[in-house]
Amino acid sequence: MSFTVEERGNPNTLSYRLFFKNADGKYVSPFHDIPMYADESQNIFHVVVEVPRWTNAKMEIATKDPLNPIKQDVKKGNLRYVANVFPHKGYIWNYGAIPQTWEDPGHKDEDTDCCGDNDPIDVCEIGTKVCSRGEVIKVKVLGVLAMIDEGETDWKVIAINVEDPEAKDLNNIGDIQRLKPGYLEATVDWFRKYKVPDGKPENQFAFNGEFKDKEFAIETIKSTHGFWKALISQKTNSGGLNCKNTCVSAGDSPFCCSTDEAKAVIEGTTPCGTEDPIPCSVDKWFYYEKE
Amino acid sequence: MLLRSSLWYTSAFLGSHTAFKSELVTQAITSYLIKTMHYQTEERGRPNSSDYRIYFKTSDGKYISPFHDIPLIANGDQENDVPSKKLKKNDNEVLYNMVVEVPRWSNAKMEIATKEPLNPIKQDMKKGKLRYVANVFPHKGYIWNYGALPQTWEDPNHTDKDTKCCGDNDPIDVCEIGTLVCSPGQVIQVKVLGVLAMIDEGETDWKLIAINADDPEAPSLNSIEDVRKSRSGHLEATVDWFKKYKVPDGKPENQFAFNGQFKDKDFAMEVIKSTHEHWRALVQKQTNGGEIDCKNVSVCESPFKFTGEDACNVVKLAPAGGEALPVPPEGMYQVTDLLDNETHFSHMIELTRNKKYIYSYYMCLYYVPFFNVTLISTIVCYSGQVAFPFQVILD
Repeated sequence: MSFTVEERGNPNTLSYRLFFKNADGKYVSPFHDIPMYADESQNIFHVVVEVPRWTNAKMEIATKDPLNPIKQDVKKGNLRYVANVFPHKGYIWNYGAIPQTWEDPGHKDEDTDCCGDNDPIDVCEIGTKVCSRGEVIKVKVLGVLAMIDEGETDWKVIAINVEDPEAKDLNNIGDIQRLKPGYLEATVDWFRKYKVPDGKPENQFAFNGEFKDKEFAIETIKSTHGFWKALISQKTNSGGLNCKNTCVSAGDSPFCCSTDEAKAVIEGTTPCGTEDPIPCSVDKWFYYEKE
Repeated sequence: MLLRSSLWYTSAFLGSHTAFKSELVTQAITSYLIKTMHYQTEERGRPNSSDYRIYFKTSDGKYISPFHDIPLIANGDQENDVPSKKLKKNDNEVLYNMVVEVPRWSNAKMEIATKEPLNPIKQDMKKGKLRYVANVFPHKGYIWNYGALPQTWEDPNHTDKDTKCCGDNDPIDVCEIGTLVCSPGQVIQVKVLGVLAMIDEGETDWKLIAINADDPEAPSLNSIEDVRKSRSGHLEATVDWFKKYKVPDGKPENQFAFNGQFKDKDFAMEVIKSTHEHWRALVQKQTNGGEIDCKNVSVCESPFKFTGEDACNVVKLAPAGGEALPVPPEGMYQVTDLLDNETHFSHMIELTRNKKYIYSYYMCLYYVPFFNVTLISTIVCYSGQVAFPFQVILD
């Protein structure tokens, strides 16, 4: 199963959109139409890469827009770029989401004691290759971190691209500690501090900031898949979310998006154009005392 | 009326403070002079290839050498290389020109080509491959803008009294810690704050710590202590970076003099002065420069001085500018075939470092019946590699 992207608008501007197409050239939603499993028997999941490692632009699946393209997050009218918190440069993994999952804000998680953040479940992919925006990769899940971001449950799945040269040696959290010492600590540090330069407080974690193992992670993912299924079958109120999809909902569902409708969505966006430069302020390095 | 009276007060104030007024005028002249010392670059060849070069020109288009023709001191008297007393605000405000070679967070090892005429910037090569510096976790590429001070030279014929090693045959290196990510070939003015005494593969290799004079924090950074306070962790990271950056290429960790401590600004300025004197001896042909190309267009007393036309002819020989090559895919461009994007963790560093030293001998005896011989085999294992020298002993 392969997917391609179609760029619309100008990168580094408000108009930029990344739409997805399947191998048949049909427009698909990366939130609803890409299967969660790449291989269910092997517990291999799909991940939609939103932010390549070492970049700053906060790109995300637009959960409230039809066909849920990837676009750059906006805060207070400005394009959002994540700060560089020393010693890190941008994101320190390829960052993205597992399709067909949803952290339900109507559900209070028993471990974090907080409600879901209304988004697909997030993934930090720790492989060597720097992926591109919109790339759909297959990953092995290794563990999960239970972050509480501004009072909402925000699980961070730790995974490795199955094509990574070290994938066969990485099967659990312990393997990461052994083969990539310091990476997990850096991950907690990153999530704890990444919003501080924007004036937000440090984030909290459940389980004392410890990573839970692969089994726990897979259970968590399955649970968010369950919430998504309830969402897409209209059992849960979608709120402001856009559940339009081209492959999952039956023809009589209000969520079913026809080919013509999909085409109209794309044509309603600015044609692909030249990139704007990234502001120099994004290069600032923020320093904090190590705890 | 308010405006008129405030203007009156202002002129009265200025009029009664002639020193202040001349200070203002002096500052205006200084910034004009610095701004007019603007350098341009000219790219030749294709970026990311072995023929890529960045040549330097003055603002009026004359080709120059960034090694020999850009003054060391930015706000100084051109003739004597001494910070002019008229133009300095105070003793702490000596500004040096810095030639940026490697932008922060990039990996391509760009450097001033000391052995080529007009010393353009080019990408270093090792064993026939373009060199990219490894990402040693948690660092991405270089963690400062990295470059050199012009008109300085670490003389390989001179043994430094502190490091006990000879110079590395290059201009003195600078790590610029400001916010702005510079471009290769950019010439900026910097304040020097301190220096680290690295010993890289047995050669003295001073690393100056400096800040771009245009950086918003420059006024509040005046010493290595200021850096420690406002850039928590960056100095430690600097030592860590230099210690380990060659290990993924199979080299040992680097050493430092003074236990890896940073020396202060005054010490740094003495080191700069000394490398500047070595450079002067070099361009005046008082020292044997070996393969260093000392051609220049502006150093009056240098026997290597040549004309602008000769300089033009050098650049004419360089290949025309072209489109950048893609950064080669994995395995094709580093000494040990490592990915530019690959991150090295200390576990991997331990393995690489100990590659030469971890070995075990297994002595085995095999009796081979048909030939009635006993073989002694020595199996040498190191880091997963196995070698089998065999010695046949006839029974």
